Amino acid sequence: MNKLKLIIQHEYMTIVGKKSFIIMTILIPFLLILLLFVPIMMKYINDKTDSSEMRIAVVDKSHNYGGAFKDNGRYRFELMSGDSMDKTYDIYKKASGRVDAIMVIPADVLESQQVELFSEKTLDESTVMYLNQCLTDTLSKAKIASFQDPDLANKISQSQVNASIKSKKWNENGEEQEQSATIASIIGMVLAFLTYTFVLSYGAMIMNSVVEEKTNRIVEVIVSSCKPMELMMGKIIGVGLVGLTQFAIWVVLIGIAMGVIGVMGIGADAASSADAMAMNMPETESTVASLMAALTSINWFSLLGNFIIYFVGGYLLYASLFAGFGSAVDQASDSSQFTMPIILIMMVALYAGIGCMSNPNGPMAVWCSMIPFTSPVVMMVRLPFDVPWWQLLLSIVLLFGTALLCIWISARIYRTGILLYGKKHKFKEILKWIK
Amino acid sequence: MNFIDVNSVVKQYDGHLALDHVDLHVPQGTVYGLLGPNGAGKTSLIRIINRITRADSGTVLLNGREMVQADIANIGYLPEERGLYKKIKVADEIVYLARLKGMPKALAISEMEKWLERFDLTEWRNRKVEELSKGMQQKVQFITTVIHRPQLLIFDEPFSGFDPVNAEQLKREIIQLRNEGSTILFSTHNMASVEEICEQITLINHSRVVLEGKVDDIKQQHKKNLFVVNVAGNEKIEAKDGLFDVVPSNDVQGSLIKLTKGATLHDAIAHLNDHHTLTGITEKLPSMHEIFIETVQNK
Repeated sequence: MNKLKLIIQHEYMTIVGKKSFIIMTILIPFLLILLLFVPIMMKYINDKTDSSEMRIAVVDKSHNYGGAFKDNGRYRFELMSGDSMDKTYDIYKKASGRVDAIMVIPADVLESQQVELFSEKTLDESTVMYLNQCLTDTLSKAKIASFQDPDLANKISQSQVNASIKSKKWNENGEEQEQSATIASIIGMVLAFLTYTFVLSYGAMIMNSVVEEKTNRIVEVIVSSCKPMELMMGKIIGVGLVGLTQFAIWVVLIGIAMGVIGVMGIGADAASSADAMAMNMPETESTVASLMAALTSINWFSLLGNFIIYFVGGYLLYASLFAGFGSAVDQASDSSQFTMPIILIMMVALYAGIGCMSNPNGPMAVWCSMIPFTSPVVMMVRLPFDVPWWQLLLSIVLLFGTALLCIWISARIYRTGILLYGKKHKFKEILKWIK
Repeated sequence: MNFIDVNSVVKQYDGHLALDHVDLHVPQGTVYGLLGPNGAGKTSLIRIINRITRADSGTVLLNGREMVQADIANIGYLPEERGLYKKIKVADEIVYLARLKGMPKALAISEMEKWLERFDLTEWRNRKVEELSKGMQQKVQFITTVIHRPQLLIFDEPFSGFDPVNAEQLKREIIQLRNEGSTILFSTHNMASVEEICEQITLINHSRVVLEGKVDDIKQQHKKNLFVVNVAGNEKIEAKDGLFDVVPSNDVQGSLIKLTKGATLHDAIAHLNDHHTLTGITEKLPSMHEIFIETVQNK
């Protein structure tokens, strides 16, 4: 037991003491925050500072609707006589840089509900949307007016319905809390992705460490001092603790960084600009308040608790496989023949997780969250949607049972594999070592 | 009193018989040579003594009693394929491996400092192992093998990779360890070093013990009645029927004669004295190198 502790300590300190580990651990949270905020900030800065004006010439053949397009800070409209028989390109040339685009309103625009827009450069989406909005408003007003009913406009505006669903759920005390399926899905996916990347990267770390010990032959010295099982478990536990340490540091760092951003008010600004962006889409009525309400409705304690349980189970399962097969590798460059199948299974798990997002209690989600090789990832997606307790329990028992079995099998492969040099081993041979 | 008794050990790998009823008896406080060509089964036997692997049948006794797992703290093992963690500091490496052998931390540190001093490595203690030269890494590896003062030391090709100066220092250290009471099992192909430091040997070939005993006895058993003869004036010696033949040889000072079967040394000397002025005659014992090759090729 003492030796196991010593090996865990050694493995842990060897990784944690590396410069690359320290740099990555500190850098990644900042990169994540940058990744999250830079696009929002850029959009925000862009909107505030973009002063270039767009000039659009309007050729109004209907002689009626040319006034539909109102100048604002970004667009200036110049009405032109609709009788001009010139081709639009000639008009554009004659204007020689005074206009950026030419819009032609046909005579029958009320029926066709369509105008044409010509330009040399491709026009951006927001311009097209603005023009469309102006035209739609004007034409629908004209149509309403054509019914000769002075009250109609009023009636129609009163009959406008913008339905929305505010979903709430009961907590244990029967109190109502706001919830958001979107936010639950996002949280689930983030946890699933975290599990996936952690298990894969730390599993690969174990494999490299096993292969390194084997290729530089120190393993022979070590196993003359302790049992191979102690070495393997020490490695798995030591590296796993590194993973948990890194995760804890990230949670703390991200928490601090978010706090700082919140205090500085950048977050609020960014959120309001995100709101401004969302204004064209009325169904996403996402205010900071409802986001916060949805976030607080999630049982973070059980969510993070379960995350750690599944993380540990999934890690033990895959790390032992990486260690077992790593011991069969003779040269570091040959390791891919064994890592590929493991990575493929992990990828299946990730895709199953993504697939289960839309129906987190459907049969595929339930099955994949029971199968131990996919459950650590898939269950993360399901967790924010309140999984029945018996499913959770069964899944955890299956996961840890399989993890123990994998450790047992891997230990048997490991104790043979680490001492066999100079030969590539096939899966068939490795299966023999288990006996 | 034997320190190790390996009795009729059998080990089989995947249909291949690596050790076939091998016996090995190493007396306490000796340097014992375990010899054999590549693939003969030496490493398999060493791994069994080290408890890295288990014998299929047979027993290994340490100090007269059956070995248990705790005994590995009493063994130091220098494998043929050297290996250290490259990325950690010399001092950390030595202390870690010493503690794995069960040494308390404080003792491991103080012993480490003594050994680094002894091998002129003190100024390297905080450098990473990969920054050391190959020779220095070998010394570090040697320190990790002996630091916990094991009663049994197993060296597999200890001199490979050492320059002659360092090899000499290593040889002195090995003798010193033996004088302090350690038993040393020494596996090598280097027959010159066997003659220098081993008192007894066991030669394994094709998974079996083919030769075993004291180095001097083995040489006596394998002697070919060869004598190096020196005569005044470096006169050429002629063969004498029924007495001796002259063996052409470049690596002796003088002439090499081989006594004919049944002839005595006394008669040969008398004959030589009659025809020359004999200034010296010494028996030429076969070298371990010759015995090794002869034994391995005959089987």
